[in-house]
Amino acid sequence: MTKNKFSLRRAVNNMNLVRFRFWFQIVAFALVVYGGYIGLDLGDKLPTFACVFNGEGTGGKCYVGELQHDLKHPLEGFMGFAGYAFLISLGMFAVWFWALNKGWCGFVCPLGTMQDWLTMLREKTKIRYSEYSWANRGKIKSIKYILLILLLLLPVMIANSVFGLPKLPNGLSMPFCDICPGRMMIPAFTGHFNQFYIDFSSKTDLVMTTLGMIITGLFLVGSFIKKRFFCYFCPMAALQYVFSKPALLKLYKDGSKCTKCGDCYRACDMDILEIADDVTSKNLVTEDCTLCLKCVAACPEEGCLEANFMGATIFESTKEGFILRMAMDQNKENHAH
Amino acid sequence: MHTEHTIETSAERQNRHKAMEAISVINALREDFKSPIHSMGYFYDLFEKVYCHHQPLHEGKAKIGTMCIQIPSEIIYALDGVPIRLCNGFYTDDEIGGDLLPQKSCPLVKATVGWFASDNFSDKPDITFSPTTCDQKTKAGAIIESFGHTVIDVGFPRTKESEESRHYWRESVKSFAVKLSKFQGKKLTRSNLESAIKKVGYAQSLYHKLTEFRKNKAVPILGVDMFLVTNAFFFDKIDEWISAVEKLVVELEQRASEGVNVAGKASPRIVYTGSPPIFPNYKIPLIIEQSDAIIVADETCSSNRMFNDMVAVDEWNLYDMIDSVSDKYLKACTCPIFTQNDDRIRRIIQLVRSYNGDGVIYQAFAGCQVYEMEQRSVLAAMEKEGIPILYIESDYSPSQHGQLTTRVEAFIESLKNRKRMKK
Ligand code: SF4
Ligand code: SF4
Ligand code: SF4
Ligand code: SF4
Ligand code: SF4
Repeated sequence: MTKNKFSLRRAVNNMNLVRFRFWFQIVAFALVVYGGYIGLDLGDKLPTFACVFNGEGTGGKCYVGELQHDLKHPLEGFMGFAGYAFLISLGMFAVWFWALNKGWCGFVCPLGTMQDWLTMLREKTKIRYSEYSWANRGKIKSIKYILLILLLLLPVMIANSVFGLPKLPNGLSMPFCDICPGRMMIPAFTGHFNQFYIDFSSKTDLVMTTLGMIITGLFLVGSFIKKRFFCYFCPMAALQYVFSKPALLKLYKDGSKCTKCGDCYRACDMDILEIADDVTSKNLVTEDCTLCLKCVAACPEEGCLEANFMGATIFESTKEGFILRMAMDQNKENHAH
Repeated sequence: MHTEHTIETSAERQNRHKAMEAISVINALREDFKSPIHSMGYFYDLFEKVYCHHQPLHEGKAKIGTMCIQIPSEIIYALDGVPIRLCNGFYTDDEIGGDLLPQKSCPLVKATVGWFASDNFSDKPDITFSPTTCDQKTKAGAIIESFGHTVIDVGFPRTKESEESRHYWRESVKSFAVKLSKFQGKKLTRSNLESAIKKVGYAQSLYHKLTEFRKNKAVPILGVDMFLVTNAFFFDKIDEWISAVEKLVVELEQRASEGVNVAGKASPRIVYTGSPPIFPNYKIPLIIEQSDAIIVADETCSSNRMFNDMVAVDEWNLYDMIDSVSDKYLKACTCPIFTQNDDRIRRIIQLVRSYNGDGVIYQAFAGCQVYEMEQRSVLAAMEKEGIPILYIESDYSPSQHGQLTTRVEAFIESLKNRKRMKK
C-alpha cells in the first residue's frame, strides 16, 4: 500500500466515479445533441440514441433509425446495391461499437443520460426507487429482442410480402422510431418540440404516434422511479449485445478474489445478479450491462473487477478506492447534512 | 494485623478462575514473544481491566447483546447502544454451561450459556439479539431466555444464494431495527445511520491497514495479537478502539520500514480457519506461534470475517442504507451454517495466495457440527490446490495441550521441509 503513493494508476483507481461519469455524460450529451452547431458530424451509425429526427444541431445520429431505413427495400434491390449499403452501415456501426462496447450506454447515450438525471432528481426528493420483481425479470429481458426483431422485420415487410403475407402500410417504415422516446426527447433539447404530436393521417400513423406519446410518458415516469427503466427494453442494447463479445472495452472479473458480497450488485442500476454471483466467467459484460462501471467502483476487493481496454487495465477495484468513495476514510463524529 | 475472613461466593470464585485464565494468556502475549509492540499495551490492559478486574466499560449506556457477527452493529450504534458480542472463550464458563447443555455441545455455546447462567457480567447486556445461525446458537437463545434475560430471535436464512433469502434477511434486519428503536426510545434516521456506517467502515478500514502489513516478508505483528485486537471490538468503546488501532497502524508502519519480524526467517506462514478463537481460548493460535510459525491471515468469524466486507451504499437514504447493511451481513458471510461452502473454500485459497501462506490450520471445536462437517470438502479442495492443511479438533479444556502441541509442531516441521525442498 505504501508502494508508489502518487502513481497515476492509484489516482485513477481512487477516483470518484459518480462525479467522473456525471461530467463525462454531460460532455457526451452536449456533443451528440449540439455538436452539429460546431460542425461535428459523427455520422448516422452511432451505437447510441442520437436521434435522426433532430433537424439540425446533432453531432451524430443513432443507427437504429438508419437501420430501419436500410431495410425498406424489395428483396431484389437488397441483393444488389441496397444490401451492399446495408452491410457497410452495419459494419460502420460495429466499428464504432467495438471501441467502446456497451460503454456507449453507460457514458454516451443521451437517453441513458436522461434517465440518470431523472434518477438524480428522485434521489434529491428522497423517494424510494422501485425494482422489477424477480418473477418478471425473465420476461422483461426478452422484450428488447422482440422489439429488435420487429424493427428489423416490419420495414422489410413493407417492400416485400414475407411468408406470403400482404405488404404492410408505409406508415410502419420506421416502426421503432415511432415509439422511441428519443424521437421526442432528444429534439426537445434543441428546442424542437415538433415531435410531440399525434398523426391522424392514417390508422397506422394514429396508432403508432399515440403509442409513441404513451411510451415517452412512461419513459419519464418510469425512469423517475426505476433506475434505467427504459434500458431493460431497449432494442439498441439487444443489437449491441450481438456485437459485444469481440469489443475492445471489457468488464473483467477475477472470481477467485470475489467474496460474493453483492456490493457490486447493489450498485448496479440494471440489477445484474451475475456481476456478484458469477465467479467463473472472466468477461462479465452481460446483455443488460451498460458498462457504467458502478460495480467496479463499489467492489471492495483488490483487483476483483476491472475495466479492461485491449488487455490493459484502465480502472480496477481497490480497497483504498472503495473506502474513499464511501467516505469511510475519515472518522468524523458527525456527518450532519 | 486484622484481616476479615469471608467465604468466597460462587461468583467470586468464577471471577477468580476467569482472571487466572485471562492473565495467563495476557502474560504469554506480553512476554513469550520477541520484539513486542508498544501500542499493543492498550489491548493487554483492556483485557486485564475487564476480565481480571471485572471493570465495567459502559456504565450508563444501553448494552445490546449480540450472539453472532450477523447483528449489524451499525444499527446499534446509530440507535445509541453499545453492541456487546457475547461469544465467550472462557473454560470456567464452559464448565458451568456444561451442566446445562448436552455434553457434546460446542464449548463456545456452553461458555456463553454458562456466563448467562451465572449472571455475572462486568457489562451486563440489557437486551440480547440472537440470529438463528447454527442450531446450537439458536437453541442457546431460548435457554438463556429461560434464565430471565430478554432474548430476541432474529431470523437468519440458511441458504444465501437465493433472492428469497436476501429479502427474508432484509425483513429480519428491519424488524430488528424497529424493535431496538422501540427499546431505545430513539428513531433510526438517515443521519445517525449514515454516521454509524461510516464509523464502523472506518474501523474496518483500519483493520484492513493492519492486515496489509501481514503480507510483508517480515511480518511485524503476531496473529495472536491480531486476534486480541479484533476480539476487543466485541466489547470495547468504539472510539477508543479506533484510536488504539490508529496508533498500532503508525507503529507497524515504523516496524515495517525497519523490517522488524516477529517470526523467524524460515517460519512457515499459516492461514487459520475454523471455529473462532475467542479470548482467552487462544490455545491453538498460541501453540502455532510458539512453535515457530506465524499466522498471517485467518478466515474466522471472530476476526477477518467480521471485518472483511464493508457496507456499500448507492443512495444514502435510510431505506437504501438498511438494505445495504443487511446485504453485507448476509451475502459476504462465509459462515459454515450455509448450505454451500464454495465461498469459504474460495476465500481460504485466496488468503493463502495473497498472504503467501505455506499452509492452512483448520480448527473445529469438538461439538461444532458445521465446521466438522465442512472439514472433508475443505481438505479435498486444499489438496487439489496443493496447499498443505492440518485439521485439529479442540475444546476449551486445558488438558490436551501436549498432544495438540505435538501435532502442530509436526505439521510446522513438515512445512519447513517443504520450504527447504522448494529452494
Ligand atoms: S427515434 Fe429513436 S431510434 Fe429513431 S433515430 Fe431517433 S433515437 Fe434513434
Ligand atoms: S440500453 Fe439505455 S443507454 Fe443503452 S442504448 Fe438503450 S437507452 Fe441508451
Ligand atoms: S463487489 Fe466485488 S467482491 Fe463483492 S460480489 Fe461484487 S465482485 Fe465480488
Ligand atoms: S454490471 Fe456493472 S457495468 Fe454493468 S450495468 Fe451493472 S454496474 Fe454497470
Ligand atoms: S463454533 Fe460452531 S457450533 Fe459453535 S457457535 Fe460457532 S458455528 Fe455454532
